[in-house]
Amino acid sequence: MNQATLKRIGLGGITGNPIAFAVVLGLMALLLAIPLTHNGYIEVVFRNILMYAAMAYGWNLIGGYTGYVSFGNVAFFGIGAYCSAVLATHGVDNVLLYVLLAMAVCAAFAAVVGFPVLRLKGHYFGIATLGVALAVADIIANLDVLGGTGGLALHQVDEAHFSLYYYAMWLVTLGSMLGTFFIARSKLGYAFVAIRENEDAAAVLGISATRYKIVAWAISAMMAGAAGAVFAPANGFIDPSITFAIDSNVFPIVMTILGGIGTVAGPFIGALLLAGANELLQRFFVKAHTLFFGAMIVLIVLLLPRGLVWLFGLRGGVRAWLKSLAVYKA
Amino acid sequence: MHLIAQDLVNGILAGGILAVVALGFSLVWGIMNIINLAHGAFIMLGAYTTYQLFTAFHVDPFLSLPVSFVLLFALGYLIQRFIMNWVARAPVLTTFLLTFGLALLIVNIALNVWTGDTRGVTTAYSGANFTLGDVTVPWTKLFTLVAALAITGVMHLWLTRSKTGRAIRATSMDIGAAQLSGVRVTEIYAIVFGLGAGLAGVAGTLISLSYALNPTMGDLFLIKAFVVCVLGGLGSVQGALVGGLVYGIVEAFATQIDVTIGGQHISGSGLQDAIALVVLLIVLIVRPTGIMGKATA
Repeated sequence: MNQATLKRIGLGGITGNPIAFAVVLGLMALLLAIPLTHNGYIEVVFRNILMYAAMAYGWNLIGGYTGYVSFGNVAFFGIGAYCSAVLATHGVDNVLLYVLLAMAVCAAFAAVVGFPVLRLKGHYFGIATLGVALAVADIIANLDVLGGTGGLALHQVDEAHFSLYYYAMWLVTLGSMLGTFFIARSKLGYAFVAIRENEDAAAVLGISATRYKIVAWAISAMMAGAAGAVFAPANGFIDPSITFAIDSNVFPIVMTILGGIGTVAGPFIGALLLAGANELLQRFFVKAHTLFFGAMIVLIVLLLPRGLVWLFGLRGGVRAWLKSLAVYKA
Repeated sequence: MHLIAQDLVNGILAGGILAVVALGFSLVWGIMNIINLAHGAFIMLGAYTTYQLFTAFHVDPFLSLPVSFVLLFALGYLIQRFIMNWVARAPVLTTFLLTFGLALLIVNIALNVWTGDTRGVTTAYSGANFTLGDVTVPWTKLFTLVAALAITGVMHLWLTRSKTGRAIRATSMDIGAAQLSGVRVTEIYAIVFGLGAGLAGVAGTLISLSYALNPTMGDLFLIKAFVVCVLGGLGSVQGALVGGLVYGIVEAFATQIDVTIGGQHISGSGLQDAIALVVLLIVLIVRPTGIMGKATA
């Protein structure tokens, strides 16, 4: 679908639907209150939602805005987590330092790896990034310095720290969201979208594609890395199978597409819905929750192929909606 | 010298299975531009079909190959026809998400039917092998390789010589032009997706002979299918074969690495995936369309 069609059905512009964005900011404000009213389990559930949202924002920047579908962003989450763990085992107990180090290391790693990898296009880029993620996980699992497969234990998480990490994760998510918003409206964001729409045309217009792609991936890496840096001390223990889990790789992608790819509100809406639904289903259907979870994803894709954000901008009622469904039918 | 020969043989034997694992995935991706995340789940279903036939009716695993193919073909055909077809023209990520949901569904149903227990298919000839010079070759793996080569050969002939094969190739080149020439694209898509699932079923049957079974076994093979089909070149039969063999051989040799650098012991068996993936990265950087891939935009 081209931009004109998207605008007509109420989706379009570089940041997506403004009402959806306003709703998301309101929800973020509400999430500030969670540690005051609930603690323990519920707080962890919402901290995980925030964590997935931050990773989804990271993925959205490279996969949604720049059009380079990465299957390896979990590498940055893992590297971020290990940055925290290394600092923590050396006696540093400051979550701000964890996040800053993780962002710096991830950005540097993304830039170095991105130089060869971002020359690849489309599917080949996706596989190469998957390769990077699996290789990083394998290498860390084999380094005794980083605990190998046994992992690293960080300090004990006490009551006071518990909410501190919640708020740290909240800030990381808010930062990723606002970062996406301002980047999308800046010259940088327009360059990303230009590369997504037509890389050759962008190059003709004087956009150095390689440089912008590396910038996009580095920022994307910083968001995932920051989320990992808060996750490690909040969890108290990390090992390669936790930090490089397949879920952490696939969930942010699925959440972004489900919410609305290439929009500012989409990743958060997707994360809230998916992680929330997963949690509720697990509670009510112990054995078959994944069954309902899978069925839910299938139904949403069939009924709202452009993502949930689309609901906010729907104009023309049921008839327009039915008509829009036929667009994708073979 | 003897170790090198043994590694090479092991690599080729493993590579044959990988080629079939990747073949269906590669065709669906290359022809329909669908990254089928349910491929691993289809492989698992194929393996369980064999397991079920073997335990209930003592059907030889090799004889259950056609059964796996037909059952999974039918499943794939129906899924494409009645579910995937709704978003056939949507961006690749939409179908990506859809197949993710389908994979969750299928794996969960399998967990409820067969439970999470690990199972195996052990035939009378399972442990049998023969030696050739210094090299030991298990019979099952050799048969598996022969079956894998035969299947790739048949697929190649069918795609290049038959009328349906021609229609499939035409659809992958230019969907509009194919439609104008009288190709029923919906039907072709359903056949290709069915074929991808059927080949996954065949791969599952072959896998069940040498690997343990459980409902989540597909994940590992899905990732390997990803790597192999890109390594060889997307959407081509020869590409899957060459990619599978290269990947199998690299992985087999990687297990032999055993060095100690500065007190840090590095053993290849733990790093085998990392090494195979570094090879993939190098291949992609040197030849971005895969070993057998054609240069396209």
